[in-house]
Amino acid sequence: MHLKIEKRAKQGIVVLACHGRIMFGEEANLLRSALKEVLTTNRKVIVNLADVNHLDSGGLGMLVGVRSSAKADGAEIKLSGLGQRLRDVLQITKLATVFDVYDTEQQAVEAFGATPA
Amino acid sequence: MGLSPSTGPVSSPGSSIFPTLVFVQGNEQRTINLDHTPFTVGRKVDKDLVIADPRVSRDHAIITSENGQFSVQDQGSKHGTFVNGERVQRKMLERNDRLEFGVRDISYVIFNPQHATSNTAREFLSQISGIQISTDTTDLEKLTLFLEAARKLNTIGVLDEILVTLLELTLKLTRAERGYVFMKAEDGGLRLAAGRNSKGEPLLDDKTISHSILEETLKSNSEFVITDTSRSLDLAGRQSIVAYDLRTVICMPLRKPQVQATRDAAAPVENLSEAMGVLYVDSRFASRDISSVSNDILRAIATEAASLIENARLVQAEEAARRYQQELSIAASIQQRLMAVTIPEVPFARLNGRNLSCKEIGGDFFDAVNTDEGLAVVLADVSGKGVSAALLASTLQGMIYSQLAAGMPLVDIVTAVNSFFTHKHIGEKYATLIIARIRKDGELEYVNCGHVPPLLVCKNEVIRPPHGNLPVGLLAEATYSSDRVSLHTGDRLILVTDGVTEAENARGDFFEDHRLEAVAGKSSSMEDIFSALANFCGGTPLSDDCTVVELVYSG
Repeated sequence: MHLKIEKRAKQGIVVLACHGRIMFGEEANLLRSALKEVLTTNRKVIVNLADVNHLDSGGLGMLVGVRSSAKADGAEIKLSGLGQRLRDVLQITKLATVFDVYDTEQQAVEAFGATPA
Repeated sequence: MGLSPSTGPVSSPGSSIFPTLVFVQGNEQRTINLDHTPFTVGRKVDKDLVIADPRVSRDHAIITSENGQFSVQDQGSKHGTFVNGERVQRKMLERNDRLEFGVRDISYVIFNPQHATSNTAREFLSQISGIQISTDTTDLEKLTLFLEAARKLNTIGVLDEILVTLLELTLKLTRAERGYVFMKAEDGGLRLAAGRNSKGEPLLDDKTISHSILEETLKSNSEFVITDTSRSLDLAGRQSIVAYDLRTVICMPLRKPQVQATRDAAAPVENLSEAMGVLYVDSRFASRDISSVSNDILRAIATEAASLIENARLVQAEEAARRYQQELSIAASIQQRLMAVTIPEVPFARLNGRNLSCKEIGGDFFDAVNTDEGLAVVLADVSGKGVSAALLASTLQGMIYSQLAAGMPLVDIVTAVNSFFTHKHIGEKYATLIIARIRKDGELEYVNCGHVPPLLVCKNEVIRPPHGNLPVGLLAEATYSSDRVSLHTGDRLILVTDGVTEAENARGDFFEDHRLEAVAGKSSSMEDIFSALANFCGGTPLSDDCTVVELVYSG
């Protein structure tokens, strides 16, 4: 298991900063639980993937699944800090059109409409 | 398909409590407890044993019991009921009889077969010969009983039979009326595992057993022995004892001794492990014999029983694991057969494909179909790993193959597949795929659903047609479109799965697109891609399946 999730809040928005990798199995399950838990009390969540070196098809499927059910509940998940490889994957799978993706966490925060302190 | 390993309760099918039927049909074998009569057999879905074959009548036969004897009775079926090959109207059943309903030699039922012992079980059980008996014991009868038990236990392999033999032995020794073994369940409560009376008849749990004593024994992990309740003052709270006039109650925890090695190897310390259950015997009369049967012997029985139960559980777990492995191999071999592609022979194009599996059962597949619409090829990669990915892959393959064979438009095919999988709410499972179809005039149409872009090699120049869509199975509202390219003689279309581009070498570098394009542009052989891949990875094993498919237009 190579995933550590750091939870923090920025101007009222919850950020889950991931460190390690997100693969089908334990890691995807861990992030899914963390997201589900955060979504019970928050409508705006950012998943920071800057320190994620590998996201496989299982991890991607999990993100899409959680995002879809969040959207159905009126919540929104944005992704930030994607490296070149992750951006390529989102490009090939056309999921870049489905997810809101930002270079930095701060940009994602601002996109949610929160004003910087 | 039933691929989950069985987590059996203490009394599983095959227990000596009920007779069993073993139903065999082709590769399938099922054991059913004959736990009620009449037991119905037929084609109707509400039967106890449903045999879905047109030659089996809806109400075919029943199994009844009278005075402990079982009989099979034909219910006026069209094709008859057979016992050991002979057609019968009504017949009393004996152990190992072979029953057939309507069909011969296709499926059959064995009545109460002898339980086969595995060699591993026999090995474990041979340790009963190491029973420790207190040196006070001189009673020959008691020793004889132990030896009888040892012999019996050596010939069986099931937990339930061990427990029953244990009970019979204990009842004989203590001359008690009733004996029970209760095992601790996962929730901490006690479940009846076996019950016998001194006449050898099976007993079920009832109110007359003192459950308070059972629980206390389990919790305190120490013995409870009362040989004459009339003399004990400490029983005010024991309702069962008072109400049902129980005079003698003995309750022993079942636990294995855990021998811990200490620094002084000559004197190992025996620690008490947690109780896994209790052995309980009672009588309505005060037993003088109880006091003469020393507690040591009962303790020895309880300890030995605990070891045997533990071993039997291990054997059961081992067998369950083995059965699961077997089912998994059957699944893998079925999948292999599904994945075997017959490359269609077509005058205007040449097709080649190879799959390098790194797993026993996988989520990659490719297939090819030739119709009037052209030669179509599909390459797909299901998300995740293992059995779940393989299951989806096989379903996907079937859907796509049949629609290609029917000449359906490519966009309609992927739309239908996406619709099917998203509506089934499988969860986070999806697939990336490419379907390409080439006509004899060189017109190529393709739909890329989230997959690694294909390589189009025209005279050593490598192009990556960029058109793409979402994967299938991910979003119900996704829409799909295709793209077209005109091929000239000698042009090659190469499809790969991401196992190729994401193959790693020892340094952690990935094979990546540029290396793939380099070898595709230089060489006209698909095998060179695999060689380049092998050279790049060196000794590093593949972490994902690799598939390469090549279509050459010879127009």
